[in-house]
Amino acid sequence: MPAVKETIEDVKQLESDKYKYGFTTEIEQEFAPKGLNEDTVRFISAKKNEPEWMLEWRLDAFRRWQQMEEPNWAKVGYPPIDYQDAYYYAAPKNAAKYKSLDEVPKELLETYEKLGIPLREAEVLLGVEGAAETAAAARETPKVAVDAVFDSVSVATTFKKELEKAGVIFMSISEALQEHPELIRKYLGSVVPVSDNFFATLNAAVFSDGSFVYVPKGVRCPMELSTYFRMNAQGTGQFERTLIIADEGAYVSYLEGCTAPMRDENQLHAAVVELVAMDDAEIKYSTVQNWWPGDADGKGGVYNFVTKRADCRGRNSKVSWTQVETGSAITWKYPSCILRGDGSQGEFYSIAVSNGRQQADTGTKMIHLGKNTRSRIIAKGIAAGRSDQTYRGLVSIHAKADGARNFTQCDSLLIGDQCGAHTVPYIEAKNPRATLEHEATTSKLSDDQLFYARQRGLDEEAAVALLVNGFCRDVLQELPMEFAVEAQKLLAVSLEGSVG
Amino acid sequence: MAAPVALNPFEERLIAALPDSGTDWRARLGRQIGTHGLPHRRVEEWKWTDLRAALAKSEAGAGELIVKGSREPDETAPVSSAPFLLMPRLAAALGGDARVFRIGKKQDGPLELDLTVEAGMGHGVVVVNVARGVKAELRERYHVAPGAFANIAVIINLGEDTELVRLVEQADSAEGVLVVTTGAELGEGARFDQTTLGFGGRLARLETHVGHPGEGAEVILNGAYVLGQGRHLDQTTYVTHNGPNGVTRELFKGAALAGGKGVFQGKIHVEREAQKTDAQMNHRGMLLDERAEIDTKPELEIYADDVVCAHGAALGAVDAEALFYMRQRGMTETQARAVLTESFLAEPLDRLADEDLKTRWMDMVRGALRPDG
Repeated sequence: MPAVKETIEDVKQLESDKYKYGFTTEIEQEFAPKGLNEDTVRFISAKKNEPEWMLEWRLDAFRRWQQMEEPNWAKVGYPPIDYQDAYYYAAPKNAAKYKSLDEVPKELLETYEKLGIPLREAEVLLGVEGAAETAAAARETPKVAVDAVFDSVSVATTFKKELEKAGVIFMSISEALQEHPELIRKYLGSVVPVSDNFFATLNAAVFSDGSFVYVPKGVRCPMELSTYFRMNAQGTGQFERTLIIADEGAYVSYLEGCTAPMRDENQLHAAVVELVAMDDAEIKYSTVQNWWPGDADGKGGVYNFVTKRADCRGRNSKVSWTQVETGSAITWKYPSCILRGDGSQGEFYSIAVSNGRQQADTGTKMIHLGKNTRSRIIAKGIAAGRSDQTYRGLVSIHAKADGARNFTQCDSLLIGDQCGAHTVPYIEAKNPRATLEHEATTSKLSDDQLFYARQRGLDEEAAVALLVNGFCRDVLQELPMEFAVEAQKLLAVSLEGSVG
Repeated sequence: MAAPVALNPFEERLIAALPDSGTDWRARLGRQIGTHGLPHRRVEEWKWTDLRAALAKSEAGAGELIVKGSREPDETAPVSSAPFLLMPRLAAALGGDARVFRIGKKQDGPLELDLTVEAGMGHGVVVVNVARGVKAELRERYHVAPGAFANIAVIINLGEDTELVRLVEQADSAEGVLVVTTGAELGEGARFDQTTLGFGGRLARLETHVGHPGEGAEVILNGAYVLGQGRHLDQTTYVTHNGPNGVTRELFKGAALAGGKGVFQGKIHVEREAQKTDAQMNHRGMLLDERAEIDTKPELEIYADDVVCAHGAALGAVDAEALFYMRQRGMTETQARAVLTESFLAEPLDRLADEDLKTRWMDMVRGALRPDG
């Protein structure tokens, strides 16, 4: 009998207790009126006390969005979304930055504790002035500064002072709009234009918060930056917007984590991430996406429709995307690099795991415009249960991209015979001095390897976890260390119950 | 489904030739084209091959598909059921009776068919049925004159334990437009071994769909192409594995010169039942000059877990080190490039059993690589 049993009956239920982030925080929140119209957009803009041009920008996006059709080319299926049946803004009451620990609602404290962010750090996270230094001293390097986004608002950003000393701006995008409007105005929408696609346009109209990072010329950001996205309120969508700019010769590593409570309804998450890298700058962007994937029958779960794009504007700039995608009922996400500057580099490392009834259509785009641009794509997909997974990618070499190089490897692993794994790469070459290589494989876990691992005393689940980790190693080693450990555990949890 | 379009005069002429009412599939086809037009770049399967644009200004009127065979068809018969895809459906609607060839045990060499459209547009359906246990060879040559449009559907039925070697030569059709859509259904234990050689046209597409029953059956799809100034060739393959233990091998290699555009789209679809499928697909392309373009989409759609499927795609230029080595041996750069490119393109043609044909095809490749003589 094969080690991996081949029937769905053996695929154990995706028990909800395996999703340890599925709790809800009981906290008084305020909402925008349900539904979406110009008033909703005005409401959000007013809440944020935004300048007039920003409101106009949003309204323009909203009007364009009304003319657009939802895309249907991805290999995912879901019932029509009623965009009027959701809240577009939800925030804890009095969501201002807290002056002292006493002001912080107990519920929020507990939430971050439960999410595995250490208490000391959580104190800092909740914006208690003065706590940053003690926490910083208590933790060994490397330090991680965190921006916590709770539903529609950023509730706290840590290590701001320390970052300021280095000249790094790290704050929520709402704050940045107040404090650095000129930077926002210059860069917002410059990588993902307002009407780029249906979900990005919706985001432009109603985005409520997110993170803003500016690393000035020649600065190597002294610590990892991180944003922790949490969806809490029922019936809300989360629309965050992240903008990261690395000026000449700057370096920044940025981490992103996401979780949501377990609910029977589907919640929409439509984010936009824009990265700008100038001459010799480098941005490393890592994501562990663990939104609630829905239960074993496909009830509930987050629709994760995200537009992420990097513009390598400068010469020899570099952007590296690393993602571990284990959550969400549906994922629609293609972190991309526009390699505009000569000698610029784009990288995409991805692990996507789908189980239960999850659907994931994810991949990347590498657009080579400049000379001697290089890109590397390593995508590992693991489909189990009744899930369906697609790698969809584009590598495009434009006529002027002399000496451009691309290497792509996509490997898929199927666990069980009720899932699907698909590869849809688009490759376009218009330059005779470019080189592109693409390899893809689909296979199952080798019985021989499983047998060997079990001979050595591992039980079946541990053996599968070991082999899957080996399969993903190329990507895992690209993650910052703190994340790599978490990601490995997450892989094991996501696949639990997928073998008999 | 793409959005409705405003028809161009060529499409209007096409529709005028179809019945305009009733529930007949021909009338439905007319309504379909009436709404969506001919396939264009916003239709996923035609993303890089914009047939609609290539024909938008076509003045091709009534014409004829001329089929000269090494023998006459065994019968001409109305098309029994409408093909599923738009272009072969159009070929069936406007091409009159299908020409049906039956290949039995008694054969005098390969079945050879020359398919040509000299002027205007020509549509047609060719059916080739190979009887159980028979080994056969089918050779087709396609040519379209400047300004003409040929749209041909080829239906191939292979019985149990048959073997068909299919050799397709698509002659350089400078200003002609050609669409050949082939549907091949394999019986158990059948072997389908196809090699194409193409030189493109204003727009040419060789599309091959194969239904693979698995167990014991084998599908080989190979192809080579050389595309000069203003030539476009699209080779699209779609293999569906329906049963377990099937084997598929694909190897396509091509070169695009200045102003040439090559497209390869390959899809391997493995149904849930098709466990232990072993499928490999490879496409390698060389861009030889400025303004050359090659676009490729090697796709896997897999629903069975115990399979080994792989695809590879590589695009690039002549290997600089190999070039250097050959120049060290006294060759001029032009000679060295030609030798390297020829040997690169020879691989998919290597398996041809007929030495004369292989020599002739390699001569054609050589000729196309040196458009100036």
